[in-house]
Amino acid sequence: MLKKMKSNEKMKQLMTNYYMMGFASEHVSWITSGAPVEILYAMDIYPFYPENHSALFGAAKQGTYYAEVAEKLGFSRDLCSYARCDIGCVVSSVNVPNPTFLFACNNICNTVVKWYEVLSRIYKVPLFFLDTPFVRKELKENYIRYVHDQLVEFIDFAEKITGKELSDLKLRKTLQLALKGVKAYKDALLMGRNKPSPLTAFDAFINMAPIVCLRGTEYPINFYEEMKLELEDRVKKGIAAVDDEKIRLLWDNIPIWYRLKWLGEFFASRNTCIVADTYTNAWSWMIVKDKSNVLESLAETYIFIYLNVGIEHMAKAINDLVNIYDVDGVVIHSNRSCKPYSFGQYEIQKMIEVPSVVIEADMVDERVFSEAQIVTRLEAFLEMLK
Amino acid sequence: MRVGYLCTFTPKELIDAAGFTPVRILADSTPISLASAHIQSYACIQARGSLEKALRKIDVDAVVFTRSCDTLMRLADIWEIATKMKVYSFEFPTKIDSTSKNFLISEIAELAKKLEEWGGKITFDSLKESIELYKLLEVELAKIFDEKPDYELLFKVQQMKVKDALNELKSREQKKSKGGPKILVTGSVCPFLDVMKLFEDVGFSVKDDLCTGTRFFTFKYPEMELRSVEDCFRYLAEKYVSKAECPTKHYEKDRRFERVLELAKDCDGVVFLLLKFCDPHFFDYPQLKQKLEEIGKKVLLLELEFPVIEQLRTRIEAFYEVIMC
Repeated sequence: MLKKMKSNEKMKQLMTNYYMMGFASEHVSWITSGAPVEILYAMDIYPFYPENHSALFGAAKQGTYYAEVAEKLGFSRDLCSYARCDIGCVVSSVNVPNPTFLFACNNICNTVVKWYEVLSRIYKVPLFFLDTPFVRKELKENYIRYVHDQLVEFIDFAEKITGKELSDLKLRKTLQLALKGVKAYKDALLMGRNKPSPLTAFDAFINMAPIVCLRGTEYPINFYEEMKLELEDRVKKGIAAVDDEKIRLLWDNIPIWYRLKWLGEFFASRNTCIVADTYTNAWSWMIVKDKSNVLESLAETYIFIYLNVGIEHMAKAINDLVNIYDVDGVVIHSNRSCKPYSFGQYEIQKMIEVPSVVIEADMVDERVFSEAQIVTRLEAFLEMLK
Repeated sequence: MRVGYLCTFTPKELIDAAGFTPVRILADSTPISLASAHIQSYACIQARGSLEKALRKIDVDAVVFTRSCDTLMRLADIWEIATKMKVYSFEFPTKIDSTSKNFLISEIAELAKKLEEWGGKITFDSLKESIELYKLLEVELAKIFDEKPDYELLFKVQQMKVKDALNELKSREQKKSKGGPKILVTGSVCPFLDVMKLFEDVGFSVKDDLCTGTRFFTFKYPEMELRSVEDCFRYLAEKYVSKAECPTKHYEKDRRFERVLELAKDCDGVVFLLLKFCDPHFFDYPQLKQKLEEIGKKVLLLELEFPVIEQLRTRIEAFYEVIMC
């Protein structure tokens, strides 16, 4: 019933090559999804993303198994399931590129700080932690200065470990590529504005890995341009992602990876299309403004990231998406694994301009998913929207 | 005006110097009902319980939320919207090093500005006095806890002006420790006094590494002469980065683990007293436990949400047996 995109296959190839590249690289940095990867690519340091790796395992329904491995070591079941799955993989010797060093940035959560401290003790490699103040209201000058100074320190740290030098020119070039990649990505996602939409948020989730992992290289630019062409072709031919699209929705929070297909079918069979989501759109915030001081621009961009801002900013972003994609309602995933993404959702609910429903689950840990409860909630919500 | 705070990295000296009363907000055993409409059940009981209190009745007019964990970071917004109180987010750095100290100085200046916006007045004299008084209070509390921890007293003095707190200390009698095997109780916040009492009831002599215990008053004091408000800001930054290590912060060279291991040296066992859903502590727990066991310490984990005292007593008694045999 689900209409698979051709891009899915290309994405698989691209990501297989990306993972292979890691094993062939001299220097590998494990990195959090919100950290400025551009610096690594500019220095030919390979970035490995444990979050992406855990999402992959989650989608393959192996996440719970590895999470349980970590739990046997004493890691609480209430901790982030990306972290548990990753730690489980590491101690089970799942084949991943070994880190030369670790690079964590808390602009997505403070969980990554603790998670990477754990990794640093296991691998006995240095950890650089980039500390980004939280922008509950306004972004202050002293925040930018603080992050800027740390970026200078990070470059020094990476240069010392790898013996490589960061060239200013190469960094600017990498930032240009990142900018193009983000634009191409955004354009592909925006195809969801069409009525009916040629893609669902589930297609977006499946195909988000390149913008996360390869941002700053040529790959995502080509990939998302092709993905957009495929979607344009669908629109031309009158192919909708969901037959007889009647309801358009927005998804909030990280996907429930092990239920992507199930949820996709659930909505499609009810003529409902989730046309966009806040998770994949978070990467469209990563546009580094071209200022004369590159590191200052980088600092500003990476402080003002979707998860590192207050509820008012988040509600505004959601309302913007509601309007851009012209949706009838919002499905809010209250994700037990992600406190900074989930706490505040009850207030946000009151601030958004369309009806919404909250479902409680977890992004990787299947044991938390209560199918009957979620079906009841979603069905009642769709009924109300009709 | 009474200004509340939840995290003990909040520079209370500034609040006191501004002419306000710094009040520590702690959950109690009030059942959670109103707060459930504002925050999910997978937030720790300190966050939910404090919000519950605020939604029912609390003698606080404004709250400073100091950056520590993800839950408190988000709670600031929720609190502001749900209670209509004045709320300010004080961005204490998560990373503790020389670069972040400079940032902290600028954030302290920003907090001072905010307190003045709220109607306070911070002068060099008032700030210098608050700094001196807090140092006196903390040194005294350390002496008391060294002899025998008094959590009731500690909770009480956190609800009053520092001057009154010092008077409170003067009028009390020092209690003597009953002895018994020594344990280190390490963890986050334990807002339940009856839980703290259990360890002693069972026969332990207690040393703690808790945010509601010695971490409230354990600092290194910078040696510097204070000549201006700016000097005082720098002093406070120095003082607060030297505060007893907390897992919500990132330190060079695993300083927190080193501190806990050091504290555990003369103890017969270690109890991890953690609030359910407290991510920073639960991430540290498995590796720290392993290191403690490597130096021969017996370890017990107690996870608190809605504590059932008799159940906890049984577990602590069993731990006592393990240590005694």
